[in-house]
Amino acid sequence: MENLAHLGAGLAIGFGATGAGLGIGIATKGLMDAISRQPEVAGKAVGFFLVGAALAEACALYAFVIAFQLLAK
Amino acid sequence: MEHWLYTFHLMDKSFTVNLDTLITMWFAMLCIIGFSFIATRKLEIIPTKLQVCCESILKLIWGLMDSMMPSDNRKHVPLIASLFLFILFANLMGQLPLRIIHIKEGELASPTNDINMTAAMAVIVLVYYVVAGIIKKKEKFLLKDFSFVSIIMMFVDLLEMITRPLSLAIRLFANIFAGEVLVSIALAATAYFLPLPVMLFEILVAFIQATVFMMLTMAYIGGATGEEH
Repeated sequence: MENLAHLGAGLAIGFGATGAGLGIGIATKGLMDAISRQPEVAGKAVGFFLVGAALAEACALYAFVIAFQLLAK
Repeated sequence: MEHWLYTFHLMDKSFTVNLDTLITMWFAMLCIIGFSFIATRKLEIIPTKLQVCCESILKLIWGLMDSMMPSDNRKHVPLIASLFLFILFANLMGQLPLRIIHIKEGELASPTNDINMTAAMAVIVLVYYVVAGIIKKKEKFLLKDFSFVSIIMMFVDLLEMITRPLSLAIRLFANIFAGEVLVSIALAATAYFLPLPVMLFEILVAFIQATVFMMLTMAYIGGATGEEH
């Protein structure tokens, strides 16, 4: 049973990180598009990008909390 | 990662508090109180350096509020600014070498790596935005009229009252907690050089998470008190 908990922890963090990685990748693409189209908004866009990236990263961290709970059993 | 649990009995019930979180929380609060006291002692028209620093923090918060909330938003400054300052100080405290002070169990790290702390702040935000919305819109807070769409939106709003504090609490907690786990893993791999860039990244994360918590609070209060839903 303990081995299955370890497997579940690995699966949880793996899938969670996939989604967060996709999200941050798309956000970075949007930032690059915006900066290359309008270089003067770079400062403002980076601020919004950081907040958005933090929101996307939070999803991976929910998975991390679940994985940690599974491992702590 | 372990907390220093202390159990006491009051009126036939047992309560457990995390003493290390309490100690570091009061330390962060003392830092903020001391900083604000020193900064506001002698206010002048031509500001000193510290006063310029504080005014720029307030200007930053005002600028964000004007872009995210409807007009008449200055009365929400106390809650939002104190949440921002407290979370910032609390997150940054995790990078101080407080762990060399040995306590009975656990370690002195940032207080936001305890989910009780972040959940309490999230519940404060929930109560605040619900009460602010009720004061502003009176009986029309949840249900604007009795059309079909309004009734569906009421259930969505009720659902959001559960998910919003949950996500606020877990986001802040998990970021700080994951940072500490990351630093300890890096410390176990190579003791001297690998943790340093990770800790620099954690300082960035501390600022971003404080900003995210503040901006989400602003968005919730703005959504509850604004005209449109």
